[in-house]
Amino acid sequence: MIQLRRNYSLSEREEESVPIKIVSVGGAGLSVLDRIVLDGLERADVVAINTDVQSLASSVAPHKVQLGRTATRGLGTGGDPELGYQAAVESAEEIREALAVARMIFICAGLGGGTGSGAAPYVAQLAREAGSLVIAFATLPFGFEGKRRGAQAQEALGRLNEIANAVVCFENDQMGDIVAPKAGIHQAFATADITISQSVRSIVNLIQRPGLIRIGFDDLLAALRSRNGRCLFGFGESDSDNRAHDALAQALKNPLMDRGRMLADATRVLVQVAGGPSMTLSEVEILMQELGRHVNEETQILFGTAVDGRMGNRLSVTIISSFAADKDSVPQEIQPAQSSVPAMPPVWAQPQDASPEIDVEPEATPIETSQPAETMPIEEPAPVATAWPQPSMPHKPEPRLITPQSNPVPMKEGKPSPEKNVQAKQEVLQFEPVTRGRFEKSEPTIVEGEDLDVPTYLRKKIKVK
Amino acid sequence: MASSNLIIGLEIGTWKICVVVGESRPDGAIKILGVGQTPSRGVRKGEIVDFETAMKCVHEAVVDAEQKSDVMIRSIYVAVAGSHLQSFNNRGSVMLPEDRDEIDEQDVEDVKINAREVSIPAQNAFLHSIIQHYHVDGQNGVLNPVGMLGQKLEADFHIIHGVRTRIQNTIRCVKELPLDVEDVVFGALASAQVVLTQHQKDLGSLVIDIGGGTTDYILYADGAVKQSGCLAIGGDHITNDISMGLRIPMARAEKLKIEEGNCVLGNCLPGETILLKDDSGFAGKEIERETLNTIINLRLRETFELLKRRLEEESFINYLGAGIFITGGCSLLNGIDNLAEEIFEMPAHVAHAQTASGLTSAVENPQFSTAIGLIKYAQAVQTDRPRRRFGGVLGKFFSGMR
Repeated sequence: MIQLRRNYSLSEREEESVPIKIVSVGGAGLSVLDRIVLDGLERADVVAINTDVQSLASSVAPHKVQLGRTATRGLGTGGDPELGYQAAVESAEEIREALAVARMIFICAGLGGGTGSGAAPYVAQLAREAGSLVIAFATLPFGFEGKRRGAQAQEALGRLNEIANAVVCFENDQMGDIVAPKAGIHQAFATADITISQSVRSIVNLIQRPGLIRIGFDDLLAALRSRNGRCLFGFGESDSDNRAHDALAQALKNPLMDRGRMLADATRVLVQVAGGPSMTLSEVEILMQELGRHVNEETQILFGTAVDGRMGNRLSVTIISSFAADKDSVPQEIQPAQSSVPAMPPVWAQPQDASPEIDVEPEATPIETSQPAETMPIEEPAPVATAWPQPSMPHKPEPRLITPQSNPVPMKEGKPSPEKNVQAKQEVLQFEPVTRGRFEKSEPTIVEGEDLDVPTYLRKKIKVK
Repeated sequence: MASSNLIIGLEIGTWKICVVVGESRPDGAIKILGVGQTPSRGVRKGEIVDFETAMKCVHEAVVDAEQKSDVMIRSIYVAVAGSHLQSFNNRGSVMLPEDRDEIDEQDVEDVKINAREVSIPAQNAFLHSIIQHYHVDGQNGVLNPVGMLGQKLEADFHIIHGVRTRIQNTIRCVKELPLDVEDVVFGALASAQVVLTQHQKDLGSLVIDIGGGTTDYILYADGAVKQSGCLAIGGDHITNDISMGLRIPMARAEKLKIEEGNCVLGNCLPGETILLKDDSGFAGKEIERETLNTIINLRLRETFELLKRRLEEESFINYLGAGIFITGGCSLLNGIDNLAEEIFEMPAHVAHAQTASGLTSAVENPQFSTAIGLIKYAQAVQTDRPRRRFGGVLGKFFSGMR
């Protein structure tokens, strides 16, 4: 990472963005994908892959691939993963084409059915073969969907775990808990979709957003890597007066977060704080201190921060972590993570028990090899590494560790923030003439010097969202 | 009279064009026989911007009304709105000749002309001269001076005027159909005829007619019109704000406003959301209820405050005994009366046409207040001054233009 800093300049970093593709496999994946598209996602392409032509036709995804023209003839797989696999093999060429050029591929699939369980691992494999990094977002079926589906899902999950760089696993049962008992089944499924969509989008943002302390793909992998693990995910956003607190509280409220209780068990937590130019150091500090209360002393925190003009007054927190579901897999979990973050300074801060296992490192290595050319720019935020006050702080417990981490941020960017504030206001002014919407072409209503066709909240500068 | 006792009112609104066919009974009652309406196109902020399209829409509405009421429509009363309409109060006075001290109708007519002897912009024409009070030799509060003895007759008039060509456009739109225009009436003046009772006019009340493109208002005190006007802000603006604020299409914003909107803040659960469905019925975007209400609240609050500032230029608003009556399509928004109460600090009610019978669905819908009001207005004008109708409206209209 560090060597690369020579040959890139700031302006370049602004423009670069990693080609990301979000691929859905199967019906459940498709509904998640539709949700993602509807919620709005910039900076990523979406591809829908399914055997069932009907559901493909009704999808809003711009790019669609039909699997198994002869194997299933446009119908579904009837819950048979074998058929799903065959269909995928048959359409391998089309899938490869669809996945081309993406450096990072997110695969959304609902496991348990035929297409999702059968084709998703194969799609992941094709993506890996094409040299992309693959993160799979898999949903496990609800308990009421039956044992058979559960078993199929577990098998598929196992295969995905082998193939993909990381698997984020959502248990529908877990997410169903937050739906009111009386709510319809549609709502339960919709809630699951919403949660997954939110996490995919926030991860895309996390990677694409130019960061002061940037979170690279390696950090992400480190946070997600765990065998048979459960993914902890939280995302919160707020623009209130107490936005740091509110955003964190919201993030911890996420169904996959269990009110932050589970964070205590996590060994590695990735946190990204993003905000508009008005984000202050003290806000970040407060937030991280508050988060510190929820995590174990020995937990390693991968911290990133980003300033995005589009965020306006909002401040968002993304927390991603995972922990092993069963105790014996804990060591496994730690190994890959370390390998994928070799250059990350916080290695020294890791719990000592982690270090002995570094040697056992099989599957993470391919990542490294496939990466160098592609991921470099992502990891670029090397300033993190340099800014990290490595020598000064040897072995300190987490909460305190955080503060020094965030310190370098304001040193570079903290002062200019008031200026940026001013700039942001100017943007709003430029904005005004074009925000008359429907009244664009009609005679302006100017009363007391104000153009009343411009929405009131814009003129009064009241943030409504 | 050619129109016998059938009176037809036409309102060319920003959202809808409606034609109401009413029957004026000898006892003064009004019966609504039918209502024709079409969604309006080619109209912005109460004024026609696309003549051809608007004309087609008017035609459709007229045909619709003809079918529903089984009446052949020949002549029509038209309501106008638009920010170009302005008003002021003026006093005219005439001295009777030395040899005569009984005031006759001619004197009343003269004083009216005299009251109009004020400078209005050259391109403007008088729309209404509404009598407030007469004064005879310094005696105040005379309602009908004809037949009284006196030397000096004075009269306070509320005068509404607007840009001549814009009013003509509305007339032309109807005349091209071809239909006769009986009279052109300021929208809020028409609405007030049916929304308010005489008692409420005497007590003092303010009618706010919030339509799609404009907010018309008229203030009555002591039974006479004291202030009136038109703001080019309406439901369209709210919809536009919602559409831009929540980034959803206009049509959906309109639906959302009608179905879920509320002007009052703080009565929804924190974080309560509305799930927008797309056309196929699938769950789409989620919108926070409070956000929606904030957008609506801010816009209406601003509109009301603007209105209040305008009205406070004169002191009449402090003497409203009956309060505020909100009508027009936008008055259907939840909580609009509460918001008006909060801002004007007096009781506010959502009102619809009170003094008409017949088609209940039409009468009880505030959207039709203006069109029904036209019928009431016409009825009043016809019984008061039947002879004035002979010259034909346009005669009167253009004569009014000096």
